[in-house]
Amino acid sequence: MVLENQDNRNLWEKIGDYFSANSIWMKWYCTGCGAIELPPTMTSRFDMERLGMGPMATPRQADVMLITGYLSTKTLRRVIYSYEQMQDPKYIVAFGSCTINGGVYYDSYATINQLDKYIPVDLYIAGCMPRPEAVMNAFADLISMIKKGQANGWRHYQENYEWYKKNQLDSLEEVIIHDEFHE
Amino acid sequence: MMNSMNNIMKQVDDVLNVLNKEVISNRQFAIDINKGDVHQALTYLKSIGFTQLSIITCVDLIADNKFQLIYILNNWELGLFVIVRTDIDRDNPSYVTVVNIFPGAKYYEREVHEFFGVTFEGNDSSFKPLLLEIWDDIPPLRKDFDPQVYSDRKFEKRDSDKIYRSKIGGVKL
Amino acid sequence: MTVMNFVYGFIILLAAFIFQTTITGFNRKVTARIQKRYGPRWYQQFLDIFKALRKSSITHGWIFDFGVIMALGGIMATVIFIPVAGFEAFPNMDNVYIISYLLAIGMLGMAMSAAGSGNPWASIGVSRALTNMLAYDIPLMIVIFTLIFAFDTASVSEIAAMQQGMGILGWNAIRMPLGGIVAFIALFGMLGKKPFDSFIAPAEIASGPMVEYGGKHLGFMFILHELMTFIEVSLILNLFFGGGSSILVYAIKYAILYTLVNIISQVMPRYKIDQAVKFFYRVPLVFAIIQGLVVIFLGWGVSVWF
Repeated sequence: MVLENQDNRNLWEKIGDYFSANSIWMKWYCTGCGAIELPPTMTSRFDMERLGMGPMATPRQADVMLITGYLSTKTLRRVIYSYEQMQDPKYIVAFGSCTINGGVYYDSYATINQLDKYIPVDLYIAGCMPRPEAVMNAFADLISMIKKGQANGWRHYQENYEWYKKNQLDSLEEVIIHDEFHE
Repeated sequence: MMNSMNNIMKQVDDVLNVLNKEVISNRQFAIDINKGDVHQALTYLKSIGFTQLSIITCVDLIADNKFQLIYILNNWELGLFVIVRTDIDRDNPSYVTVVNIFPGAKYYEREVHEFFGVTFEGNDSSFKPLLLEIWDDIPPLRKDFDPQVYSDRKFEKRDSDKIYRSKIGGVKL
Repeated sequence: MTVMNFVYGFIILLAAFIFQTTITGFNRKVTARIQKRYGPRWYQQFLDIFKALRKSSITHGWIFDFGVIMALGGIMATVIFIPVAGFEAFPNMDNVYIISYLLAIGMLGMAMSAAGSGNPWASIGVSRALTNMLAYDIPLMIVIFTLIFAFDTASVSEIAAMQQGMGILGWNAIRMPLGGIVAFIALFGMLGKKPFDSFIAPAEIASGPMVEYGGKHLGFMFILHELMTFIEVSLILNLFFGGGSSILVYAIKYAILYTLVNIISQVMPRYKIDQAVKFFYRVPLVFAIIQGLVVIFLGWGVSVWF
């Protein structure tokens, strides 16, 4: 499947996308080693607040979820929970080669290999790990994608929910979290 | 420091039935003991100041068809570590719990059971899963477990350069 | 009370929102410069609010929805009664009591809604917010009662008008310096600025009462926060820093006061909630009581200087 390039948004959606593009709140959930690239991206050297981006505390408040590196099956369950708690429109940016093809964990029994089978990734950042320059560049790309209406992975997730659920269940067997400390 | 460690080693040698002892560094020594003597050894070591159980772990000696259980104890006053090693049968891996000596062993034994399949009699909670949430194969840290096969079976591999419905940003490739 | 009163009220509401949101945007830039960053655009706060209003949102039951509406309604009603540089939508109704009671509706609505979400972080946040309110309110109220006793009126605009004409020497913060200090410290607590922000602590309790808000609810909460900031800063400005003789003077003084609070708060660590309560009941409460005794028994700073 290719990216949908035709633009069939109405005026309200275009205005809404302008606001969404210029005010992106990240979910502060660090799944892998790439999370250490974010403090320099946030602080004075690169300063992502110039782009209107900032960290938020909970998935309900956030617009973009950053998958910063490898995802173990255990984390993937929590990520799916968190992603489904986020409010539309929502975006996913995946960091590094681990999310693309497993990276150095290609043969691990606990980490997944191909993230976009499970949740709709809008943008990948290549590298192991991507430096803050690459992260800033990717955020600029994400902003232009949102402005053009191309970052609609969340809509694709709603439309192909069964396909994503099937992939999730194939790998995880069960998405529901059984946790002895919370039951 | 070396003196106090030598003293302790000598003391341990006198009291316990040590099969083999080995100096690893000037703060760390290892003793191999019989399967039946571990509880006596841990109790004795705890009484002479090794009050902290740092970890219980296991090594899969597949060539000898054995599991080696390893208990690492720490003496905070002298800064010494002692490694207590014992061999158990690999075909029917079962051992007796040490939670009555070190209550914190509860979670280490769960972990060893989860990753090596060693059952600990007397610790019922060791049968519960700890880190792996849903597991449907032989315990993953045994040497005869092949992670590549498991990964190929469970997690789909990317077979081409095609990326599903997204693009690569950041550094232009 | 005519239709024009309501039109004026609406104008005040709109102006307060636009003004305070702009000031907040500038203060985000000030904060960034303190941290040696470039900072966001000055209108970033507007973008954030409209973006949040644009998103979808879900409900956690009707208490959750109703609480937001009640809080926003209560706060909007309060803004209408705030006198700005002598301009009042409803003349002779800008009583301190009316304002503090209406403000409580907003606070309670927020607490109700956050508790209705069922999230434990929200409950912890709300309990901390109300404890914090109890902490700063007692010293502040003692000082405000002192003012009411001294000037024989509870009207905010009259107290503001009495301070004008003598320049900076006329301000209550100068005439009653201990009371001024108490009010300035209480302003940090009212705004939830840094030493006293334990109830929103994002890394500790996941932004407290706001934890379950997303999308439109969050947008309403942001609007509410801006209006609440306007009420609180305006109240302190009118009561202790002389209000303003014209809209322009008022706006400049307001911006300076808010920016000063923000700059000071940026270099502060965070009190735990029990430490905040202890602090308010130790230093500002003693100052407030001394100020009250001085005004009641010595009469210093009321009509003349000593």
